[in-house]
Amino acid sequence: MNAYNRNTLIVGVAVALLIGGIVSYFASGDPDGLEKTQETLGADKPVHRSVEPPPSLFEGYSLKWLGEGFWSNAVAGVVGILLVLGVLLLVARILKRRPSQQDSEKV
Amino acid sequence: MHIASGFLSPPVWGTMAAVSGAALAASLAAAGRQLDDRKVPLMGVMGAFVFAAQMVNFPILSGFLSGVPIGTSGHLGGGFLLGILLGPSLGIVAMASVLVIQALVFQDGGIEALGANIFVMGVLPCLLGGAVRRLWLKPSWLSYTVTFTGAAAGVLAGATLVILLLKWSATLPQTVSLLQALVLMDSIHLLIGLVEGAITVGVVRFVLEARREAVLGVALLSPSVEVRA
Repeated sequence: MNAYNRNTLIVGVAVALLIGGIVSYFASGDPDGLEKTQETLGADKPVHRSVEPPPSLFEGYSLKWLGEGFWSNAVAGVVGILLVLGVLLLVARILKRRPSQQDSEKV
Repeated sequence: MHIASGFLSPPVWGTMAAVSGAALAASLAAAGRQLDDRKVPLMGVMGAFVFAAQMVNFPILSGFLSGVPIGTSGHLGGGFLLGILLGPSLGIVAMASVLVIQALVFQDGGIEALGANIFVMGVLPCLLGGAVRRLWLKPSWLSYTVTFTGAAAGVLAGATLVILLLKWSATLPQTVSLLQALVLMDSIHLLIGLVEGAITVGVVRFVLEARREAVLGVALLSPSVEVRA
């Protein structure tokens, strides 16, 4: 990998980790716009839910066994960021055709 | 703006799953041609950035109104941003990946609602962002204005669609009129949209300055195209 791409990855991942791992700890805990709207209108009952959603390890962006604190949020953020990065790099690797200078960029 | 599990009726989420599924298939088919060497890491880190930014809820309203708490927050959607920086196809692929991971691993957004959520936060804003990306070949006051307004409009359009989906799913109570619901949802999302617009302009500018070749691609930067643009 050349320096250009290596730096894209290093700086990009560092910024994402800073935001998702640290800054997000200070995020507002208030309901988001949709949740607040549903709450206000009385449309907050999952009337179409037939099966409970499967349990997930990081429900609500925290790790149950780490409680609700800084580290729980940080671990959830780091795991999510690395998952997204890994999935996208894998998808790109599968999709990418042989490089060609003639290929025109579609906008 | 993630729709949680249990709020959409099967016909509604089924339709949205079909629409987003088709859009994602078309995007994946187009992605191969667009992924040059520099775009692969850019797509990876932009997806990671959007995931991280979506964890940061900023306060929109706080305090009490006639004794009722009105505290409300919002977070970046990021679709318009990715539409500009990656183009609509790669943007849709990245947004879909973020939303699938959020639903499966973090229980953020219902799994059956994934089609709807991918359309509202992915397909729709990515197409809008993609439509204006050429303005950034030569940044001017127009690029900034259109990007700010467009990103905010994308949030409003998504918010409007979410209410319509809830209405068609008969999730809104009978006592609530569609107009009431739209006014409430869109007023809140106008505020969220302004923040979306500001963040989008800032990040586009930063990434374009740091990684212009990766964003615009070799073809777009070649002299023949520069002249046309």
